Amino acid sequence: MKLNRTKLLVEPPASATSDIAFILIVFFLVCASVEPDKGRAQVLPRAEPEPQKDKQSQTIDVELTRNAVILNGNPLPPETFRKSIELKLADKTRDEDKIVAVKSRKEVPYSHWMAVTGIIEDSGGIITLQLEEEQTVQVK
Amino acid sequence: MIVRRKKLDASVPAMAMGDIAFLLLIFFVILARARDDSHLQWKPAAGQELTRPTTMNASVVVDKYNVTHLNGREIPVGTLAEELKVLLGENPAGRRTVMLKVHHEATAVYFEPVIEAVSEAGGELHHILEEEKNQQ
Repeated sequence: MKLNRTKLLVEPPASATSDIAFILIVFFLVCASVEPDKGRAQVLPRAEPEPQKDKQSQTIDVELTRNAVILNGNPLPPETFRKSIELKLADKTRDEDKIVAVKSRKEVPYSHWMAVTGIIEDSGGIITLQLEEEQTVQVK
Repeated sequence: MIVRRKKLDASVPAMAMGDIAFLLLIFFVILARARDDSHLQWKPAAGQELTRPTTMNASVVVDKYNVTHLNGREIPVGTLAEELKVLLGENPAGRRTVMLKVHHEATAVYFEPVIEAVSEAGGELHHILEEEKNQQ
């Protein structure tokens, strides 16, 4: 005599898959939107291999240390820097006169650099980076 | 005599919904992985009057370990300018946006060469920052 086995395999309900998938989509979308995407645009002149030798205008020099600012050789507290740079840029009309050369020491943190360059741009200055170039000099 | 209208069954097949949703899921996952830098650890610096870039052509991250990444892939700073030139190609102005994500404590020795490389490649910098909370 043959005994028929009862079928134990039961198919999962297909209608639930769409719900699961949509929940997963929502999860991925929420995860993706957590990343910050707001910020500040910054216009920098295109880097040139050789520095311009004929400087027709006098640029403003800003040197950054870890937590201070040196404007044309004068150390300034951050509070007075905004007023000083605004005063210096106020009478400049040509774009080439508004160039501010920013030189940073190695230990300057990004947050400080952004704060100072933000003040310069808000005051109407055009930022150029002054970087130290590594040169190998052979001594005879 | 009353003629009864035939009822037309116009229900959407529920079986197809799962397939559609899974295709969408795969699409989003692939899209997310193409420019994925979410695994990198960095904290943005604070800033005011922040704007969202209209286009995003490349993403450069300097993480908390001072390592540079281009579109989620680790890259030496020396080759960053060349790689960016390839990525940006001959795109016109306005379509050369490079999102720069630098850890707030990273020092100039690490982030300045990155900015220089972006500038050399003709990229338009957009620093990604966090809205500054007013202290009262």
